Amino acid sequence: MRKLCRKSVLAKWALAGAATLALAACGGAVDETQSGDGEGAIELAEYPDRPYWGDTHLHTDNSVDAFGFGVRLGPEDALKFARGDEVTATTGAQAKLARPLDFLVIADHSDGLGATRRLYDAPRLGVQAMGDETMLRWYDMMHESPQQSQRAIGELIAAAASGDLPEAMSDPEASKEATKEIWETHLDTLDRYNEPGVFTAFGGFEYSLMPGGNNLHRVVMFRDGSDRTKQVLPYPGLSTSPEGLWDYMDGYAEATGGEALAIPHNSNLSNGDMFELTMPDGGPMTAEYARKRARSEPVVEVTQIKGDSETHPFLSPNDEMAGFGVKGWELGNLPLSAKTSNDMLAGNYVRSALKRGISLEEKLGVNPYAFGVIGSTDSHTSLATGDEDNFFGKHTGNEPSVEDRSTAGQNLGTRVGRFGWHYLAGGYAAAWARGNTRAEIFDAFKRREVYATTGPRMTVRLFAGFDFSEEDWDGDWVKRGYNNGVPMGGKLVDKKQAPTFLISALKDPDGANLDRVQIIKGWVDQFDVVREKVYDVVWSDMEGERALQGNRVPKVGDTVNREDASYTNTIGAPELRATWTDPDYKWGQKQAFYYVRVLEIPTPRWTLFDAKRFGITLSPAAMADAVAQERAYSSPVWLTIEPEPEEADSGNDPDAPAIMDKNTDA
Amino acid sequence: MSVNDKARMWLKEPLVHFLIGGALIYTLFAWRGEPVDPASRTIEISRSDRAQLSLGFERMMGRSPTDGELDRQVDRFVREEVLYREALRLGLDGNDGVVRRRLSQKMDLLAAAQAETVQPSDPTLQAWYKAHPERFTDTSRYTLDQAFKSEMGQAKAQIAQLNSMAPRDDWKALSEPISLPASVSQVPRKEVLDRFGEQFLAEIDALKPDEEWQGPVRSGFGFHAVRLLRRDVGEVPPFEDVRGKVENDWRTATIAERKERGYAILREAYTVEIAE
Repeated sequence: MRKLCRKSVLAKWALAGAATLALAACGGAVDETQSGDGEGAIELAEYPDRPYWGDTHLHTDNSVDAFGFGVRLGPEDALKFARGDEVTATTGAQAKLARPLDFLVIADHSDGLGATRRLYDAPRLGVQAMGDETMLRWYDMMHESPQQSQRAIGELIAAAASGDLPEAMSDPEASKEATKEIWETHLDTLDRYNEPGVFTAFGGFEYSLMPGGNNLHRVVMFRDGSDRTKQVLPYPGLSTSPEGLWDYMDGYAEATGGEALAIPHNSNLSNGDMFELTMPDGGPMTAEYARKRARSEPVVEVTQIKGDSETHPFLSPNDEMAGFGVKGWELGNLPLSAKTSNDMLAGNYVRSALKRGISLEEKLGVNPYAFGVIGSTDSHTSLATGDEDNFFGKHTGNEPSVEDRSTAGQNLGTRVGRFGWHYLAGGYAAAWARGNTRAEIFDAFKRREVYATTGPRMTVRLFAGFDFSEEDWDGDWVKRGYNNGVPMGGKLVDKKQAPTFLISALKDPDGANLDRVQIIKGWVDQFDVVREKVYDVVWSDMEGERALQGNRVPKVGDTVNREDASYTNTIGAPELRATWTDPDYKWGQKQAFYYVRVLEIPTPRWTLFDAKRFGITLSPAAMADAVAQERAYSSPVWLTIEPEPEEADSGNDPDAPAIMDKNTDA
Repeated sequence: MSVNDKARMWLKEPLVHFLIGGALIYTLFAWRGEPVDPASRTIEISRSDRAQLSLGFERMMGRSPTDGELDRQVDRFVREEVLYREALRLGLDGNDGVVRRRLSQKMDLLAAAQAETVQPSDPTLQAWYKAHPERFTDTSRYTLDQAFKSEMGQAKAQIAQLNSMAPRDDWKALSEPISLPASVSQVPRKEVLDRFGEQFLAEIDALKPDEEWQGPVRSGFGFHAVRLLRRDVGEVPPFEDVRGKVENDWRTATIAERKERGYAILREAYTVEIAE
């Protein structure tokens, strides 16, 4: 009886729509180029001719925490937003990217994929029937109010960090069916939005391992379409290990012929555990572990909303520009359940990890930390926004409609000193690829020909070789760069001669001018001491007002109007180029790496835009941090003593150029 | 404790909130469907109701319920039903924000559900494609040469110089060095945006294609002399080439439209009076 009534209403309701009523299951017509890796779908450039921009770290309402924070936008809205459509954010504001992205990895947490949404949607009776009081309490909090919902998720993160999640959430077997359903629907959606040559939608997830609250998270990204990715489920982070994840990835490659890679992030919140000198159990690192790690994790996310992990002033006391995005985050691990001490910092930051990598290579013959770098958002709003003037917050609880979001405390450790203004606007990833397909961009990640920015879209080129000169700039220097050297991410074998670099940094066409370009060198000297040095290579007006004073580059100045949250491009340069030879190279130095850091002139941070928009006064501490020099980090080039023995690898050669012919054959 | 006090206590109990929520959906269906007296004191549990309860248990626990467990589910169901009808008699369904929001979301989901899984026919999609050609139009493509100067005055002088050059002269040598392509051919609109920025694209769109050098065109870098050789306005590709795109677009729009039309139909029945 009741059923009948229900149907009749349903029919009326459905008839409100004009479309045909058929009962077939969801499938969707997607042509083959959309459902695969896109190889052969479009015409490729001869060599990577432009950077493609993306975010590899976006959460939607399928993430346990994002949903709890209040986001109600799903993957579909996330994809639409990233490719440039206007969407309505959860809190009601219209949101659109001024410049669409080229690619997106939706990285929802594998643990409890869709679980909070399922919990929220479940009948309370059912939740009660599970007999778990914690789940029931979270359920009620989530339904009570947005504030309570965020509190519930705060508890949930803390429970995940301390290993106290209710069994129903942490037991992967229990939720396998539900996960499978969400995963497969999600992969279908990705295929529908993946458009080779126009917009790339990668399959992926976030692996959220967090022992004791120490952040060991990775984003996993697949090269392939749903025909392959449907053969696996996202790998759970709770009560597993990174080696388990790498085995899972190898297993995937073997079973499907596809490829996956993992991108560690927020090493700054790992209390030294992300880039250890030892094995996770404290024993000496083995070459096998190092090789496996380097192969599985070719790229690290160096900057995002929850801070920047390049380096810390304690580790790089001679680097005037160190410390961007460090405040607040340096206090402790992710939920601030344990404080960070100075001896942990070397395992927390990327520059020191690169240094550890080359010193480990001296001992093991293989570098576990030979990675490139990218930036991303880690936004939990389904909106991949990395721009300071379009910041949609870390999560829905601090979208722009929340006026005091810059001064308010955070869910993660407020009482101990983390505040809203510590959040960065989030970064982006740039990939040097020959075209916009899954295969091309994934392979750029694999060979580390990628770079990070803290949001602005600067174009950064780096080539290393032994016979570059100033004259190269007159001709087709990019082609010469590829033919006579290696691009960022590459390895150069030492020829008892100082390496020379072609470096070009072009400003974001719609952003701020550039202050300077620096090279950061790390090396093991002849006495086995690991060292680092920052070189100012080229800067604006370097022949004029900013001529060297002693050996210091005068500051670029500051045009930011604090009241108006504006700046002018009357200082700085649109492009900075240099041919640079390492002045400190000595034969006898051992492994070395070089990467580029590009600094913009000072510009307002999102906090200053907020202060203007809402007419609020920032606290003195927040105000002191309201103007910053946004930056780009290139992936390093390594100068190695011996060529590494060729490794039998099923995938594409990570050191592809020579101009890309190897890749074409693959 | 009076009946009223008890009722007030119940009101604060989240369980009651939820019961009311679930209940209200049923009532809504009941009221709008065939005539079932919401105040009836007969509760019927059909076989299919039992099957439904069993399935719900299975989804949650990953296995079928035992007979005893199923009986308990039925007991709970009956309890819920009794309390919900009583709650309605007490008029507890009004003025609860949580219940209201949940129910309205459910209604939206119901309206959208069909469109999310339906397999549209070709005629439906073709009609959609014909009705919205602009959504499937290829991007505009640009073919242009540009020479760069960082100062306005120099850029103006450069244009005059370029226009008086012989065709074989090396015009590229006049440009100040900058890592931008001097010539692009048939590049999509987005690539012009990505490489040259918003201002450049806006100014280029105001120019007419011509063999002559025009400008200076402003960009975030400085000033450009531009020879806009072609601007190909995108055309609508044949239906077969964009069927997937059409279906995707149709689905998205249909979901949104159903929610709105469904709401409109219901909304029609109401008069809303807002006090000044």
